[in-house]
Amino acid sequence: MNKSLSVLNNHPHIWRARDQRQSETKFSLGFPRLDKALNGGVTSTGLVRISSLTGMGELSLFKQVICQHRTHKLVVFINPPGLLQSPWLENLGLKAQQVLVVKPSSEQESLWAAEQCLKSTACHCVVLWSNAVNQKEARRLQVAATHNDALCLLYTPPQQQASQLGYPKASLSDSQATPSNQSDGALPITLDIALKGKPHALAVNIRKQRHGWPKDNIVISHRWTPDNQAIKWAMAHNTLSDQALHSVS
Amino acid sequence: MLWAYIYCYQLTLDSHIKAARSKRAHSQLPRHESNNQYSSLASNTPVAVYCSKTNKITQCNDIARKEGIEIGHGLAQAAALCPYVHILPFSEEAEKHMLTQLAHRLYPLASDIVLDNHIHSNSVNGLAVRLDNLTHYYGGHKPLWKTLTQALAEADIRYHFASAWTIEAAKVLALHKFNTYLHTSDDIKKALSACPLSLTALSPKVIDSLARVGVSCVQQLLAMPVQELGRRFDNNTIMYLTALRGETFPRVTLFRPLEHFDNFILLPFDIENTQHLTPFVTQQFEHLSHYLRARNLYTSSISVHIHFREAPVMDINIRSALPQSSVKSWLPLFSLKTESLVLPEPATAIALTCQQFEEMDTQNGDFFSDRFNDIAQKQLIGRLNAKLGDNSTFQPRAADSHQFEYMTVTEPSVGNCAGNYAYSSDITPTFTFDVPKPLIQATQICFGPVRLHSEWWHDSPTKRDYFIAQTEQCVRLLVFKDEESRWWVQGLFC
Repeated sequence: MNKSLSVLNNHPHIWRARDQRQSETKFSLGFPRLDKALNGGVTSTGLVRISSLTGMGELSLFKQVICQHRTHKLVVFINPPGLLQSPWLENLGLKAQQVLVVKPSSEQESLWAAEQCLKSTACHCVVLWSNAVNQKEARRLQVAATHNDALCLLYTPPQQQASQLGYPKASLSDSQATPSNQSDGALPITLDIALKGKPHALAVNIRKQRHGWPKDNIVISHRWTPDNQAIKWAMAHNTLSDQALHSVS
Repeated sequence: MLWAYIYCYQLTLDSHIKAARSKRAHSQLPRHESNNQYSSLASNTPVAVYCSKTNKITQCNDIARKEGIEIGHGLAQAAALCPYVHILPFSEEAEKHMLTQLAHRLYPLASDIVLDNHIHSNSVNGLAVRLDNLTHYYGGHKPLWKTLTQALAEADIRYHFASAWTIEAAKVLALHKFNTYLHTSDDIKKALSACPLSLTALSPKVIDSLARVGVSCVQQLLAMPVQELGRRFDNNTIMYLTALRGETFPRVTLFRPLEHFDNFILLPFDIENTQHLTPFVTQQFEHLSHYLRARNLYTSSISVHIHFREAPVMDINIRSALPQSSVKSWLPLFSLKTESLVLPEPATAIALTCQQFEEMDTQNGDFFSDRFNDIAQKQLIGRLNAKLGDNSTFQPRAADSHQFEYMTVTEPSVGNCAGNYAYSSDITPTFTFDVPKPLIQATQICFGPVRLHSEWWHDSPTKRDYFIAQTEQCVRLLVFKDEESRWWVQGLFC
């Protein structure tokens, strides 16, 4: 009894909250509060799910992770929600030769492409847009990523909607889909975060992270588009004449 | 035994064309007048290679041939036919260098290579490659020959080839411009019998005496019994003849690659300042980095030799504190070193040598992490295209337009042309939609306006005021107002 317990104790997959794993390489996001909550940043390998609306700065949030590491390798965008613009990539800090866009025609194909990219050892980061990842597929991607020293960013639509809509339908249609959907909130992945927009800020909910506790509502100020701050400032500090021609919101 | 003979009949001309082409490719960045001046050199100028020892034109390109210049003409005749012909001097040393480089290129693919550049009166330059021992590894004659021709095509060399049981026989066939790969002895015999005796390496005296008895082509020679020949000719001739018949296999010296790196190129034109040397030196550094990569080595000192017509060779030794291998790390050192350098006279050739290598530190994992990266990327793209269709992958490239619709072009990812000009813009969205959608939700403007007119050559001129707008869910959109004050969404900022 005692012996078998000590064997269990030594199992590498058992983690205790009291021991902090130092060996993992982490990529900093560049936001101190978020990095602290994530114990240093995003892990260098594995699958990371980000559930957010498209257009909330969810890619720019990972700017440092995507651009500053393993720069000799490819960054692959699979099934992006629009035509990726090369000047934007340039501004982000990616070279055109380093980027590959894959346009698959179905969800299954995009998952296949993601797995191939992760397994090829030629990719630093695979950015995948998909809303049909279940537990089994997530596990496959997670294993492919960790074994080949690559990172997979999975963008899905916000979770509340998906679970509300998809839940009853799936349980009626086939029994096989039910367990995967039940545990939809808990995929076997390294990090699961949800983004929520706030005026002039971004709220990050860490729903699950490996070797760490979930944490809600980390508000960071994130600026990913140019704004009229300069004009506003100039207007506010305009001492030369009192008459403002336009008011800018 | 089976040998292939590769007869390189215009090495000097080939290297000139290659160098001129690479000059054009490299000089895209600084658009000097030199570019225009020299770029036309390779493609539409008649070029001929002249050997001053024999006073003969030895090689000429198609344009020169069109002008009437033929191989064997004298310089005066060539100049009379075409006064603006570009003459390159023929140099045995340079051709030997080029042949050695070609052998270096083939050595990873074929083990037994014989360099054949004995200086005859007709100066034949060629390589013989032994094939019969390789077919086993390549799984047949066809894949082996495909691999070799692929390497030759990459080297960008014009050649005639043939295969036969000995080097001597293959050489005769190659000189006959046979250009077919044979591996059965019946076929070889048939092909060989059609060759005239003048192509063989027999001395003119022997050919003459054979002609007197009515032997003018190889067929009759092959038919003769050896005893018959033995009575008439000396030992060397007999040895050659038995080799030609495939009865004996003379000893040959096989090519062994150098232990150090040595690369030499003739410049396509004389270069007077060091800045213009850079593209050619870059080319050399590329060779060096491939060489080092293949052998798992680094180096911390290299030397560049600049050759001139009269002045002695100038050696530039470059040392770096850290052993390195890439073009990116050596080129800045070279440009720093040569910044203040003044060439005594125009340079005609450059060589890069590297004597000392340093072993890779095997503890360093970085090297291995990207070692097969290039191949892995190509394999990945190939695999994706194979399953998802050829147009399913692309690399977005910047195009010459300020309009959001035309800013990015999507080519299939196989092409590797470098974009020469990139339009950069602060307010480009991450994604654009195929067609703008009407704006149907409440938004708040957070940046703008930016007014963009379409280019005048477009059919339907547009004038748009672009803004970045934020919805209630904090999604940032690229919106615009057209001339009729309607609002559209064109892209997303992610």
